[in-house]
Amino acid sequence: MNKMFAVIKREYLQAVRKKMFIFMTLFFPVLMAALFVLPGLLMARGLGGKKVAVVDGTGALRSSFSRKISPEAPDPKKAISGGNRGELPQTIDVEYADTHLQTPSDGAKPYLDRLNVPKESGNRLDAVLTIPAKAFEGNDAKMTYYSRSSADVISQDRLASIANRAIQKQRLAARGIPAEAVDTLTREVPTEGVQLSKSGEKKTGNEFNFIIGMIFAGLLIIPSFIYGLETMRGIVQEKSERIVEVLISSMSPRELLTGKILGVAAVGLTQITAWLTIIAAGGAFAAASAKMAGFNVSQFLRPMVFVYFALFFLLGYLTFVCIYAIAGAACNTDKEAQQLVAPVQMIMMVPWFVMFPIITNPDSTMAVTLSMMPVYGPLTMFARTLVSEPPVWHVLLSIAVSIATIAVFFYVTAKIFRVGILSYGKRPTIPELWRWLKVA
Amino acid sequence: MSVVLSVRDVVKTFGAVRAVDGVSFTVQRGTITGLLGRNGAGKTTTIRMITGVFFPDAGSIEWLGSDRDARDRIGYLPEERGLYRQMKVKEHLLFLAEIKGKRGSSVTAAAERWLKRFELWDKRDSKVEELSKGNQQKVQLIGTLLHDPELIILDEPQSGLDPVNMLLVRNLLRELKDEGRTILLSTHMMAEAERMADEIILVHKGKVVLSGALDAVRDSFGKNTLHIDYEGDGGFLEQLPQVKRATIVPNGAEISLADGADPQQILEATIGKLRIRRFELAAPSLEEIFIEQVGAETMTMEASR
Repeated sequence: MNKMFAVIKREYLQAVRKKMFIFMTLFFPVLMAALFVLPGLLMARGLGGKKVAVVDGTGALRSSFSRKISPEAPDPKKAISGGNRGELPQTIDVEYADTHLQTPSDGAKPYLDRLNVPKESGNRLDAVLTIPAKAFEGNDAKMTYYSRSSADVISQDRLASIANRAIQKQRLAARGIPAEAVDTLTREVPTEGVQLSKSGEKKTGNEFNFIIGMIFAGLLIIPSFIYGLETMRGIVQEKSERIVEVLISSMSPRELLTGKILGVAAVGLTQITAWLTIIAAGGAFAAASAKMAGFNVSQFLRPMVFVYFALFFLLGYLTFVCIYAIAGAACNTDKEAQQLVAPVQMIMMVPWFVMFPIITNPDSTMAVTLSMMPVYGPLTMFARTLVSEPPVWHVLLSIAVSIATIAVFFYVTAKIFRVGILSYGKRPTIPELWRWLKVA
Repeated sequence: MSVVLSVRDVVKTFGAVRAVDGVSFTVQRGTITGLLGRNGAGKTTTIRMITGVFFPDAGSIEWLGSDRDARDRIGYLPEERGLYRQMKVKEHLLFLAEIKGKRGSSVTAAAERWLKRFELWDKRDSKVEELSKGNQQKVQLIGTLLHDPELIILDEPQSGLDPVNMLLVRNLLRELKDEGRTILLSTHMMAEAERMADEIILVHKGKVVLSGALDAVRDSFGKNTLHIDYEGDGGFLEQLPQVKRATIVPNGAEISLADGADPQQILEATIGKLRIRRFELAAPSLEEIFIEQVGAETMTMEASR
């Protein structure tokens, strides 16, 4: 017992003193947040500074495209959630051209040429939207959106919908409906997502559940992988630097393995405690500003979230670490060990890949099944508790399954560890590992 | 004298190889026992079974005279040395003592004493990887002794050491013996064992071929070995009819005499060819005994095929 404690202490102190640990502890939450918030911001930014020419073959849509562009910074929330689709996006600089007196190709040509002039000329266009002359009547009339980057679907979609609304208005006007009435008749009713939980709290800002969920899920699962790998490297190092013989002549392999796993678990817990503190502090600060953007951060910072986070982190880590410990004990170099765990890692990552459906539909059969499964349980169940309120027995069953999984994994790992840690030959195959399991 | 460790008929096989094949011996308290043999003879495997790294396939290993956990009674310096490179020297030593069940101020004081004695005091807060190889060896040796072990098992302790450090280790072992500790010294360097050991166990191909007190073993081979030191080329000595076997080194030879041979005839044969500085009839050296034992056994094995 004392010997195991010596190992725990050593593993812990060695790890927390590393610069990498300090860096990760302080900056990882920021990094995770950036990873999910930045693309949104960039998307919004991407809409800014765009110069688009609208080549109007009908010559009748000038008013819809001639609004003065406001120089304000883009609102990320509107950029992500879509805003009001009928309005001109505030960040697109439109150059309108009336070409109803020219042939379509003659009218568009000067603008299309400007797509590829050098940027410095100040004359360059990012995209050109052509509207055919027979847009009002023709059944097969088609608008064309030319751009340098094919991925710019947001600008295309926005401009096309503006053009369509304008065309629809004109069609209605042609049938005698006055312009003011048309606006009233075609106004869209906006939708706000409100989640009503059993405990009666209201949660709004559904579109942000996804981002917050992903940040939390990332904070939960990524350290498990990092510390799993760290444990694996530690074992490989003890083998390759021949420390293991001194260790095994002083304590049982089981004591050594338990000490290592618990030591690294303590490191992980220290780190997530620091993260949760940072998030809680940052969240309290951010809540005020976030509220202005229309969503409520504090609804994610319930005390139970923190409890579940620590609990499911520990369960997830203890499940994964066994797999890494086997790989470490079986191999002689980091490279070999990583090759061995790489395919297993993909299997373990499954809930991460389906995080979007889990978060958007936490009570679906898939989410419920995954949350009760060995290996997948901790992450999935945590995600479910974050965005919904699963029945208590679901949570308890998931925890029980995880504990049973860990017990079985640990038993197997200890056996393979016992044989593998003293073997210096080539990397064992899976059947050889199986034999080790039976020998030990 | 009392027995500390008794190894009885232990067997260890790896696949088709019987690395240790029915080895038995005892280690007496307060002695230096040399476990001798060529590389691959089974010495390290035997030691790994004693230290609990391997379980023997058959046979028993018995500890006597103490109820302290057997693992904690041993100080073990493995053949393949290893330390955590990233750890600081003193911290590492305290860790090694702690996994042997010793901690607290007395261990810290002992560690400091050893560091000063081995001239590592200035490096106590350096990382292990910053030390020279020789200094890392010293750190490992201190780690072997720090928890006050009764039995010290050293597997090739002098490999990779310079002559000064070899002397340091030699003196240290004598000192530890004087303190009443028991030492099991595994080595393939016969001359070194001859200087240090009270008892020897000669292992070859997984079997004990010879064991006992060093003096008794040497005496049993009789005083029919010529030790000659000279100047000149002594290559012809091998061809003389009175010589059964000769080990020729530059400026010296160790000669096993043929039965009934007169050493005087050999001396006569050297006149005019060699300038003799020493001519002594004595017991054979351990190396000679080793070659004779192992050679004979190898020959009978080959004949039986």
